[in-house]
Amino acid sequence: MMSELLAPAGDLERLKIAYLYGADAVYVGTTDYSLRANAKNFTLDELQEACDFAHSLKKKLYVTVNIVFHDKNLVNLEEYLQKLKDMQIDAIIASDIIVVKLASSLSLPVILSTQASTLNYEAVKFWQQFNVERFVLAREATREDIIRIKKETNASLECFIHGAMCTSISGKCILSNYCTNRDSNRGGCAQICRWVFDCEDSHPDFTFMSKDLNMVDYIEDMLKIGVDSFKVEGRMRSLYYIATVIMCYRKIIDGIGNKTLTTKEKNYYAHILDRVANRDTTPQFYHKFPGVNESYFQDRLEVSNQDFLGLVIDYDEKNKMVILEQRNYFKKGDIVEFIGPFMEELTYTITSIFDEDGNSIDIARHPQMIVKLPINEKLVKYSMMRMKIFDKNNEL
Amino acid sequence: MKNKILITINNLDDIEYYQKLGLKHFVYPLKDFCVGMPNVFSVAEIKEEGYLFLNRICDNEAIDDLKKIIKKLPNNIKGIIFDDLGVLEIVKDLKIEKILFLNHFNTNTLSIKIYLAHVDSVVISSDITKEEMQVIVDNIPNKLTIFVLGYVNAMYSRRLLIDNYCKFHNIERKNPLRIQKEDNHFFLYENEYGTVFYHEPLFNGLELLSFKAKYFFINTAFLTKENIKDALEGNLKVTNDQGFLYQETIYKLK
Repeated sequence: MMSELLAPAGDLERLKIAYLYGADAVYVGTTDYSLRANAKNFTLDELQEACDFAHSLKKKLYVTVNIVFHDKNLVNLEEYLQKLKDMQIDAIIASDIIVVKLASSLSLPVILSTQASTLNYEAVKFWQQFNVERFVLAREATREDIIRIKKETNASLECFIHGAMCTSISGKCILSNYCTNRDSNRGGCAQICRWVFDCEDSHPDFTFMSKDLNMVDYIEDMLKIGVDSFKVEGRMRSLYYIATVIMCYRKIIDGIGNKTLTTKEKNYYAHILDRVANRDTTPQFYHKFPGVNESYFQDRLEVSNQDFLGLVIDYDEKNKMVILEQRNYFKKGDIVEFIGPFMEELTYTITSIFDEDGNSIDIARHPQMIVKLPINEKLVKYSMMRMKIFDKNNEL
Repeated sequence: MKNKILITINNLDDIEYYQKLGLKHFVYPLKDFCVGMPNVFSVAEIKEEGYLFLNRICDNEAIDDLKKIIKKLPNNIKGIIFDDLGVLEIVKDLKIEKILFLNHFNTNTLSIKIYLAHVDSVVISSDITKEEMQVIVDNIPNKLTIFVLGYVNAMYSRRLLIDNYCKFHNIERKNPLRIQKEDNHFFLYENEYGTVFYHEPLFNGLELLSFKAKYFFINTAFLTKENIKDALEGNLKVTNDQGFLYQETIYKLK
């Protein structure tokens, strides 16, 4: 069976985009008990809608219940889990043993969160007695660790393939607690590992921020060694990021599955993924022990771009016009690209732009302004227009 | 109270000194299974009765190595204090005391009760308030271990952060290494298994010695035996604070 591609989503729109761009499953947090306390997160009503949407596509929805609970946080936990069960959520993601045990008693499947720092087969065996169905291994797991754990336990394994990395072993950091009084294990992580510290003895500033994870070069190998779920990090990420990352990995996984993925194509997706990230990326622990090249030692060095030009909100079939919500500046003459569900990348030269009232304009300069572009191909809602930087066939 | 104190050992010669202070439960950071501990010991080096301390998150290789050690565990090892639940699987059938020190977890009564079905004692997280600790201890009297003195391990990375930093800047390696940002002070200590960020100042939770606990834990890493004597005599001279005992962390931003 082909491995699952698992996407994050911070709200309903991003959840739908994740599924439409190829995710097999999506994980979300609700306004309670989730480690991304500052993400928008889902209300229970939205969660039901998300669950229904996922199941209508025969896809899965997981809910994070992954804070480390204090006594006062336990109030209503069992009722909450029962609600998730009643909604037919496919699994919860948890690290605190009380959540695991309660969920198990309700026959609500549990995925053990990476917060539990699982890095060896005996730890997996410990949790298997609590009916944990899948394990998100510690991000520090190497290829050999994964192989051995699989061999010794036959457990279903989930591994991160893309996104930000904690510098700490997940769950083992309370720097936020000290520096901001926000509880990192209850959703308050303030990303202290991205701060710049003074160092003693007039040493240079001390930074210890990890570069991001990118496993494009190892997906085929991960499939071979039996990774069951490929997890993308980023419940706080934008819809363009989610769409792009999920689409790239979908094409890579499918291309490997049907033996059509060429090196040129893989390189193309690697370029796209590099471009959508605002930090450098590396495979981190999978193939070698991370050294100097896997972290930043001089400030944050984050770079963003304006590649995402617009979100398709509708298509006017009568006039053959795509209706876009602008996200970044574009103008007549730009060579752009449409991406979207169920389609290949489509190159397009902007010959004319019309505003919402049908007036011809030269430039779309205002964020979220509604514009129309003439195009014969019917584009579905949630397609996106971006700058054309790379070409799949020519490796620009 | 002193007969309930578990104290880590920096130097085997300190044991006699501690015995004269009335302490009797000695904890030995186990070589190759600890991070953030400047002094570690092989089982063969441990002659007195005591407990092994393992705070490393173990990979498979470490688990295999530990199994070999456990097979030949001498009788003077009374117990084992550990973080990784894989360790529990290895020692669960051994007739030694098992104490779970799952750093930053064990912040609520019900989770601790579940773990207590598998171990003899659980170290309550020092990330919670004294009031929260009191509730837990009242619910589970005389079973728990309370961290009362030592530098708090505020972050544990598998990466060699000092080594990489010094290599990048081409400067002499300094271990431990002190860093700060505004009023936040930490020092880092690194070994081949990773880097620990310790928070400064020292955590002083000696007022918790009045709690109905099974044990009280003192981590002496980066402290001297004289510091410990002073502390137990109520005369701690090292700059210290009470961590989160009176300062609840924020769960959700409003």
